[in-house]
Amino acid sequence: MAPGLEVDPCDKCEEMMQPYMDKVLSDEERDEAEAHLDGCSYCRKRYRFEVELRQYVRTAVVEEMPPELKQKLSELRTPL
Amino acid sequence: MSETTPEAEPRKLAEEARDRVRFEEEALDLADQVYRVARRLVSTREEAEDLMQETYARAFRSWKSFQPGTNLRAWLLRILTNLNIDRGRRVQRSPDLQPLEEGDYFLYNKLEASGGDSDADRVDQRLSQDDTVAALSAVPHDFRDVIVLVDIGDFSYADAAQILEIPIGTVMSRLHRGRRILKRELAERTIGSGV
Repeated sequence: MAPGLEVDPCDKCEEMMQPYMDKVLSDEERDEAEAHLDGCSYCRKRYRFEVELRQYVRTAVVEEMPPELKQKLSELRTPL
Repeated sequence: MSETTPEAEPRKLAEEARDRVRFEEEALDLADQVYRVARRLVSTREEAEDLMQETYARAFRSWKSFQPGTNLRAWLLRILTNLNIDRGRRVQRSPDLQPLEEGDYFLYNKLEASGGDSDADRVDQRLSQDDTVAALSAVPHDFRDVIVLVDIGDFSYADAAQILEIPIGTVMSRLHRGRRILKRELAERTIGSGV
């Protein structure tokens, strides 16, 4: 990178957001992300949205197993 | 050459039968969780049901190859994803190489721009369940598989890599891209085309 051209901290936070939520950042990166989120309402709002979105998607796409399928699976067991 | 005495043989058989029963019970206890993942790996409920039955039939047949103490749910899903590929249920696709300009804030920014800023973070008021299911279905298989395993099934990157038999780095890159594709699909359904 050319001297003087710093990465925009909000762009960097955006890139770190998913790995941060997945808890796979290094300690140093996590501290950096949290320090930025503490001081930046723009990113904090988006972080809250991302957390809610992930939870929403997870719940919205759930389709429970039909009870009759469970019965069919039980019937596949080895006879005693 | 067997060293078992005639008396030891029935005991061994009884132990084996007990281990098998325990395995089958544990596998069945996980069926609800396996189904939730299976249902989103395929397009229809019928496919998911067939795949579950084939998976459990195979699991019960090959129960001895499961190593006790390891992750049984991951083991079952590995069988299931292999069967899904073997049976040709997955439509082969060319990799999604279209440039994806959207970043992770894309959906929030679109919602904010389309409906005033106060509502953008109320996810449940802005998105619908049907749109979300449709948006996930529209994500190409390779990307959807990792989203379903990690974000819906709660598997670690390492488990997802093992289930799909791909390197962990590939799991991470597909997840990164897949989540952005999902947001683009959600935006298209929620706000309309032209996003």
